[in-house]
Amino acid sequence: MSTVSNVEPFKDGFIEALCPELILFAGLILLIIVPNLGKGTVRIPGTQKRVMWLLGGDRFKLTSNPRLPAWIATVTLGAAFVQTILSFQDGVDRTAIVTASGKQLMLVNGFSRVFELIFFGALTLAAFASMNRLEVRGVGPKLSTDDLYNNRRQADFYILMLTCGLGMSVVALAQDLFVLFIGLELASFSTYVLVAFYKETEAGTEAGMKYFIVGSVASGVGLYGLSMLYLWAGSLQFDALASQFIINGTDPLPLIAMGFVIVGFGFKVSAAPFHFAAPDAYAGASSPIAGILATASKAMGIIGLLRMLLIVAAPEASEDGTVWLTLLGVLALVTMTWGNIAALGSTNPKRMLAYSSVAHAGYMLAAITAIGAWNWDDSLAGDGGESAVAVLTALIFHLVVLVAFKLGAFLVLSILESDGDASRLSSLGGLAKREPFLAVAMFIFMISLAGVPPLAGFVSKLLVIMGIVKVAVGQMGAEIMAGGDFGLGDVHWVWWLAFAMVINSAISMYYYLRIGIVMFFDEAEEGRTGPLPRGWQVRFAVLACLMATLFMGVASDKLLEICEVAAQSLNYGWN
Amino acid sequence: MAGTGSSTIVDSDMMQFAPLIILLPMLAFPVILFLGRVFNRNPFWKDTMKEGGIIALVVMAASLIVSLLVIKDHLGGFAGIKDSIDFLWLNSAVYDGGSLEPITFGFGIYIDHITVMLLFIASFLCLLINIFSIGYMNTDPINDNRNHRFYAEFVLFCSGMLGMVLADSFLWLFIFWEIMGLCSYLLIGFYYEKPSAAYAAKKAFLTTRVGDVFLMIGLVMMWDLFGSLDYSVVFDEANIAAVAAESSGTLQWALGMMFIGAVGKSAQFPLHVWLPDAMEGPTPVSALIHAATMVNAGLYLVARMFPFFGSEYLQNDLVDLAFIIALIGGITAVMAAAIAFVQHDLKKVLAYSTMSQLAYIFTGLGCAMFLANTLDWHNDDDAHYIVIIAFGAALFHLFNHAMAKGMLFMASGSVIHEVHHAHHHLHHHDHHDEGHHDDHHGHDDHHDDDFDAQSMENMGGLASKMPLTATAMLVGSASIMGLPFIGGFWSKEGIIANAWRVALEDPRFFLPAICVLIGAGMTGFYMSRMWLKTFAGKPKTEVAAHVGPTNTWIKIPLFVLTFVSLSAVLFAGMGFTHWAPDSEYGLMSEKSLIDGIVYEINHAFANSDTFFFILTYIAIAIGAILGPGIALSLYGGELASGEKVKPWMKPIIRLNAWVFDRFNFDNQSVANSGLSKALENRLYFDHYYDMAMLKLVAGFSDKSAETDKNVVDGVIKKIESGSQSISKVVRSLTTGSARDYILMVSVGALAIFFLLWGVA
Repeated sequence: MSTVSNVEPFKDGFIEALCPELILFAGLILLIIVPNLGKGTVRIPGTQKRVMWLLGGDRFKLTSNPRLPAWIATVTLGAAFVQTILSFQDGVDRTAIVTASGKQLMLVNGFSRVFELIFFGALTLAAFASMNRLEVRGVGPKLSTDDLYNNRRQADFYILMLTCGLGMSVVALAQDLFVLFIGLELASFSTYVLVAFYKETEAGTEAGMKYFIVGSVASGVGLYGLSMLYLWAGSLQFDALASQFIINGTDPLPLIAMGFVIVGFGFKVSAAPFHFAAPDAYAGASSPIAGILATASKAMGIIGLLRMLLIVAAPEASEDGTVWLTLLGVLALVTMTWGNIAALGSTNPKRMLAYSSVAHAGYMLAAITAIGAWNWDDSLAGDGGESAVAVLTALIFHLVVLVAFKLGAFLVLSILESDGDASRLSSLGGLAKREPFLAVAMFIFMISLAGVPPLAGFVSKLLVIMGIVKVAVGQMGAEIMAGGDFGLGDVHWVWWLAFAMVINSAISMYYYLRIGIVMFFDEAEEGRTGPLPRGWQVRFAVLACLMATLFMGVASDKLLEICEVAAQSLNYGWN
Repeated sequence: MAGTGSSTIVDSDMMQFAPLIILLPMLAFPVILFLGRVFNRNPFWKDTMKEGGIIALVVMAASLIVSLLVIKDHLGGFAGIKDSIDFLWLNSAVYDGGSLEPITFGFGIYIDHITVMLLFIASFLCLLINIFSIGYMNTDPINDNRNHRFYAEFVLFCSGMLGMVLADSFLWLFIFWEIMGLCSYLLIGFYYEKPSAAYAAKKAFLTTRVGDVFLMIGLVMMWDLFGSLDYSVVFDEANIAAVAAESSGTLQWALGMMFIGAVGKSAQFPLHVWLPDAMEGPTPVSALIHAATMVNAGLYLVARMFPFFGSEYLQNDLVDLAFIIALIGGITAVMAAAIAFVQHDLKKVLAYSTMSQLAYIFTGLGCAMFLANTLDWHNDDDAHYIVIIAFGAALFHLFNHAMAKGMLFMASGSVIHEVHHAHHHLHHHDHHDEGHHDDHHGHDDHHDDDFDAQSMENMGGLASKMPLTATAMLVGSASIMGLPFIGGFWSKEGIIANAWRVALEDPRFFLPAICVLIGAGMTGFYMSRMWLKTFAGKPKTEVAAHVGPTNTWIKIPLFVLTFVSLSAVLFAGMGFTHWAPDSEYGLMSEKSLIDGIVYEINHAFANSDTFFFILTYIAIAIGAILGPGIALSLYGGELASGEKVKPWMKPIIRLNAWVFDRFNFDNQSVANSGLSKALENRLYFDHYYDMAMLKLVAGFSDKSAETDKNVVDGVIKKIESGSQSISKVVRSLTTGSARDYILMVSVGALAIFFLLWGVA
């Protein structure tokens, strides 16, 4: 591993290190300015002279087009995405952004880059696909107030997407809990508004409000935890907190604080019982936004948990397992089971996907639990964290490929939404006849979510399960292979989490396949038999998701390599 | 990238392109299907692209070219060439700390002399049959707007066959084997709206499935023995030695199970019932699946087992299996030939002939395996020579049979095509005043109006009307019969001679040896009968009198294959007759072509061993004189007056007329005998199989269905309704009120607090 090179803000190397973020920032400024460009003039004070200054007034034809902000956002996010991919090409350098006094604020490494990949990828697809969602009512210099307002509103939508992306990448980069919190709130507030943005339905506004209220409570609790940590350690630097934790991590104060922080992040990943607002939010938000919540926003929460649990309250800090092991195990079990059972009877596809997303959160929490247990076996402690890296790799891989099939599923629903609505299972009826491509794509997304080979969802789920089992079996694995005899009592209890995952996957087949039955065998709803609304952008996005789902299922090694680099770079103590 | 076992990557430029042979047709499958759907009824797609036929043609031609280049690279010799190109699906194992075995799923290309032989046959015939299909399928209105389905399934099938031949492990062999099984099902049932075709497809699928289950069991056993199915591992002498030391009996069982799979695929007794029915498919399918490629898969599988039989460590351990292989072959050879005696359907005769000839190859393989297993051929030069000519004869017969039978099927297709058209032509004239006429009958369709375009009873005297077809059919028949100097002669004599050689060693082998000798005469009879009934004599119906010549697409493959069959002696001279797995030399490396031909002729007609010298002439006498002689006296006769035939067919027609006039005898008593009836009913195999199915399987199915409905479904419904109600309870907690949500968050926070408190 390369050594860290420190860069102070706006000094040499700053632009290279934060290139994707700066692209986003530039795009943001463009998005704010460009739709306002017009034939506006300003009077030079004290004279009668008016000078063109291009801001305000009647808009130009180009700048008044609400498609323009959509394209700016897509191109910006896409450029950031490509930039992130390119940074993997010749190995990610570790670059820390430090204050003048040498405190680390942000750290650019494989870990943060992979998560940026998730954020930018999901947001690019969502922005691109949203182009068809919001209609163009008027273009040109003379517009009614309504049309002007509509165009303005569309620009706002994409501005919020960019701020959301910016906030998320700050979370990925943060090396300080405070910085992380700032990024988290920036992204969260953007998503609150984005959820409420779907004003065409009553549910949208209500959902946005509820999501905001509950989210604020969770953030408040989390912030409370942060302040307690600061009180205890005198710093919010991860390094400082971690070294404090090794010394007296079992004091009540940091434990309570950590519990509160987990509540904050638990809401973000929609772990039970903090997930309640999520189904409402998903159902109320427009589908691409719901897709963002289920993928990028969730990944953001996972970053918080990983940083908090694996860096600050690091497993190796304590001797007999980590303090949070039982807690997280229970949380994982409850979350995955709750999500799946609730999804079973859900008749609203978006709520169903929301619950499925809760279940997936449970799987991820199970993976984190396993990482917490990786050194339970004395003999495993010497393996240099390999098994921990394996589980973390699987987890990150899962988050990456989730973008493909979860967001893809929401995008298909998005097309249905613009046709009428997608809040009933029956609204998917007859989709196979109406548009076979979408039905096939949706079906593949569903079975990928369920984990059917050879799709990406299968690989990710298999890797997670295998990782957990490997941790649980520990050194016994080699002995079993050599003919040794061990019972279930000998393995670590995280093995049961893998078992629960398998059971839960079986349950989940029920509701995933039901979508397929409705699409292929049921008749369309009354009056919804015709072809679906046009729009190549969203279909292109669906196709991209579909390709990724298929491709990552059969040729995952490149991506896995990247994920492994990311996993290794989370905690350098593992190498 | 992890290499499989000890495989060596040979420095061969063409090898990296070898996967294209499989991939091109495989990728063409979705393309044709997709384009066919999109451009259905589009005139350009229909007329110029032949509904996908041209795309298929291009990929098959490309496949053939790459195949030839690959073969060319390996012509020098084959010893130890095991090229592996690995493709890994899940390399999750990389992340294992070494405590668990890695999961690798690699694909490699394995080339040895068997591969080369089969690769050439498959890619060459697939291309020719593709050309034929364009002339056959696209000219029949019943196929309009759905030929793309045919071509898509066709290319997928070819991909399966080529993949099976090139694969480097039994696992991949099995996968491609099943791809072929699926395509065979789809292609036989191409006219799925016809109940008989749907039934035939189902029958073929299920019967071969019986064999496949055993094959799978065999593979599992082999995995258990070797811990791998890669050729590089299972053929490794050291591994074989280790297995032989402990469980050579189990290995014989494993190979035996795999052989049952081969029996199913190659339609041998007792799993042969599907092949005749499979003639319901379009004729190109019959040519492709039931002559040229798929039925050879079983032979290929058995030939692949050679390293076990030839291993020094298993010497004399696998004799029983070798005997069973030869015996199954012997029984089927006679039985199928006997059934072929009485068939009236042109394609059914060919189907039974296929079974019979494949049985010859099985006998040949069985004998070669016996020799390899008992003789000390690694060290003894004479023994070595005996083994490689025995094995070579079987493989060369595979080659000759595939070429000849592919041609025969295509020629029969050409006949049926034209008879059918002539029938329609007449039909139209008859019903001129009816105004409209439903023209939707296929060539392979049995008509509502009782006219059967496939029945030889409706033909006769076609030799003058379809000269090329008649010639092709003549050469093909001669090749199958083993007339001296033509095609199958060079290999069939070898198989018969080797069967007797083995019989002298092990008396059990007398049974197959006698079978193949008698079978030669029977082959001579039914092949002659078929040709004479179709092409000689006077037209038996008005339709047959109005048949016209075929189109160019059909003529090309017939012409090419006629040439191949006639020039079999060239291939023999190139060394096709004595290949063996360990030979360090390949084709053309021992002698020059002329020397090779001289040697072969010398070997065949003037064998220095008196026993074999006499045996050769007995076989010729039975196969080339006795069998055809009886046929000449019973069928055919003078052509209708004024009809002219090509000069090379004249002597045969004259001979036929002469024999027919003088020696024709009343064979009604034979034709009406019980045996004949039994043969016409295919020896009641289908009858008894159906009865058994009905009693055992259907009864079991009914019971299972009942259990499934009441017990299994009942439990599942209970679980479903139970979980639905739990789900309802769980979801009812999501009240929709933010206040409740916050309450739940607080409850969760408290729970976390207590859990952490407990730890602290």
